[in-house]
Amino acid sequence: MKEKWKIFSKGLYDENPIFMLCLSLCPALAVTSSVINGLTMGLCVTFVITSNNVVVSLTRKLVNPKVRVPVYITFIATIVTVVELALQAISPELYSALGIYLDLVVVFAIILARAEVFASKNKVFPSFLDGFGMGCGFTLAMLSISVIRELLGSGSILGFKILGSWYNAPLIMILPAGAFILIGYMIGAIKLHNAHKEAKKIEGSEA
Amino acid sequence: MSNEHAINKEYSIFQIAINLIITCLASGLIIGLVYYVTAPIAAEKREISKQESMKALVSDADNFKAVPDKADWFTAEKGGKVIAYVVPGESRGYGGEIKMLVAITPTGEVIDYKILAHNETPGLGDNASKEPFRSQFKGKKEANLTVTKDASDKDDIQAMTGATISSRAVTLAVKNAVHEVTEFAGGK
Repeated sequence: MKEKWKIFSKGLYDENPIFMLCLSLCPALAVTSSVINGLTMGLCVTFVITSNNVVVSLTRKLVNPKVRVPVYITFIATIVTVVELALQAISPELYSALGIYLDLVVVFAIILARAEVFASKNKVFPSFLDGFGMGCGFTLAMLSISVIRELLGSGSILGFKILGSWYNAPLIMILPAGAFILIGYMIGAIKLHNAHKEAKKIEGSEA
Repeated sequence: MSNEHAINKEYSIFQIAINLIITCLASGLIIGLVYYVTAPIAAEKREISKQESMKALVSDADNFKAVPDKADWFTAEKGGKVIAYVVPGESRGYGGEIKMLVAITPTGEVIDYKILAHNETPGLGDNASKEPFRSQFKGKKEANLTVTKDASDKDDIQAMTGATISSRAVTLAVKNAVHEVTEFAGGK
């Protein structure tokens, strides 16, 4: 059970796709200007990566290793198209807000990486956990970036005004450059925290 | 080299092809099925959102009818009388195409507009869909649809600070729409 939890939880922090692996930064910059966009993107990616891992794991003995990459890409493209069609039917506004970045999910390095590294070599349930954990980590990162950006950039969260009219929002937080700077600071903070923890650990073992 | 061959089992091209064919077939089948289910819902949603955005533009209209020989033109009717035309407008802004819907009275006065798609700078050009820029257009006629930077000029459209190109683009699109409607309504 502990092993299973580890498979799931490594995506949340230790191998967080955005903050630790620095993958998929492009959508992280582009769609996190509001919480609802960031959250939808995160959930879409979670769904795609989880179901792709399951499918890859199910078919791992059938797929010819020589053509595995095209086959995986076809899987991912199929799942993304299904998500797009569903989103178009459920919420056209969100669909148009995510725009091209939803299509780009097909070529997210993190999804293909999980299929290659994990799902193609493991049983279905661990693969499911791995994908789900990575997806949750991605969603968590998108959510935290977009909360800060929307709060600082528009003074609101999920469209509700939090800060009053006295707040003169800095434009840069809404622009992609602001997201880039913010992600840099967040990665820096996480690294600092890790170094701090590491130092404490060494201190503790020495004492 | 020979070592590599020992690890990689030989596969015939036929096996590989079959693998890809099956994947693509299954993929096509799944997408087709999903599309079959979602397409009608999506079309319905689009129709509803179109109606709603027209309703938001011309709030006292009780019925919208497509104009027969003009694509995407609609008339807003109230008790069988045409009170407004809702027409698409388009122009090039700072970041590319701006697409909008413009509501205009048959006498050629602007009622309101709604920007459907744009690529303007967030925080500057995209204020075109917000107050106070938007309400300036209300009641304006074709002659007054020009952008000015002179704050004392109350008859024309005041440019948005830092977004003159976006202001001009939106104003031009509205102006063209007004022109077309005046011609269309006047010619009848």
